Amino acid sequence: MKLLLGLTLGAAFGAVLQLSGASSQTKIINALRLKDFTIMKLILTAIGVGLIGVHLLDLWGVAHMKVKELYLPGLVLGGLIFGIGFAVAGYCPGTALAAAAEGKPDAWVTVLGGLLGALVFAFMFPDLEAALFSFGRYGPVTIHGSFGVRGLWIAAPLGALCLWLALRLPKPGGAR
Amino acid sequence: MRNDVVHVVPAIPWWAGGLGIGIVLILAVALAQPIGVSTQYAVLDGVLLHHVLPDVAERSPYLADAAAGWTLLNYEFFFVLGIPLGAFLASWVTQRFSTRLVPSEWGRRVGPIPGRRLVWSFIGGFTLLFGARFGGGCTSGHMISGVSQLAVSSLIFSASVFVSAIIMARWLYGDWGTR
Repeated sequence: MKLLLGLTLGAAFGAVLQLSGASSQTKIINALRLKDFTIMKLILTAIGVGLIGVHLLDLWGVAHMKVKELYLPGLVLGGLIFGIGFAVAGYCPGTALAAAAEGKPDAWVTVLGGLLGALVFAFMFPDLEAALFSFGRYGPVTIHGSFGVRGLWIAAPLGALCLWLALRLPKPGGAR
Repeated sequence: MRNDVVHVVPAIPWWAGGLGIGIVLILAVALAQPIGVSTQYAVLDGVLLHHVLPDVAERSPYLADAAAGWTLLNYEFFFVLGIPLGAFLASWVTQRFSTRLVPSEWGRRVGPIPGRRLVWSFIGGFTLLFGARFGGGCTSGHMISGVSQLAVSSLIFSASVFVSAIIMARWLYGDWGTR
């Protein structure tokens, strides 16, 4: 039952990624070149809806939250490395799978590269842990938690801001 | 800026896509757990490696932890398995399935040579997942799920991603050069 739920939600996610152009390499790199804001509008809408929805669920006590740990050097370095890969591949780990399924050979290769990258990380982890992950650790910190307020008080205005920004960012213009 | 950008027209508008992803996230949080993808690359690695070389796989505490029980029969992996399934069906129904190797903007900016695109795709994928495992998440786990939960770690990761990806894209796709 749980497996079927996962497969169904994943398929819905993959279908939306495909239909909305998030699995398009060209769409992604033009977003990163700041030439086409469609992907930013998409992500901001998703986060805006997510912020409000998730914190409403939390308010009603039915949310299964899973907040990732804050460990400063690893997060910043990891983000910078991820960004390089994001720009070079033009896919993220999820959209690469979607693009591979819609027939793109370069996305298949991205997935293979990703499997190797994750494997190499797994075997470097014990050393990296000693060097990088042992300091600057703060546990699963949230913004509302550190202010000691209910999540919705911050999520609702921030979510509205995301949705407003999504509306305001320019649509792709130019030829075609 | 005539002809400066190749415009790909998606099948559905941005607001419908964003709403769709938001709803998937809300359903996932209500019924199971927030969405995430990149961990499953390590899980698949672990299970495959354990199948071929169990000793080597067991020597990695990271793999043993990620691929607990060396099995793929769990909710998280099936969620990720669903992504290509849904994407395939969507591209098939909307007749957008295509085996084009060199993406259009890449072809214009970097060149039409397929081998070069494949090599860089591999390097890009490697860097992508190495970074994602380093930071403990990716676009879905950190940027969408994490930021939606107001996680400080996810905001920092997402900011780092955009800074480096925007600089890298500008450099790679020649907006600063003479290409």
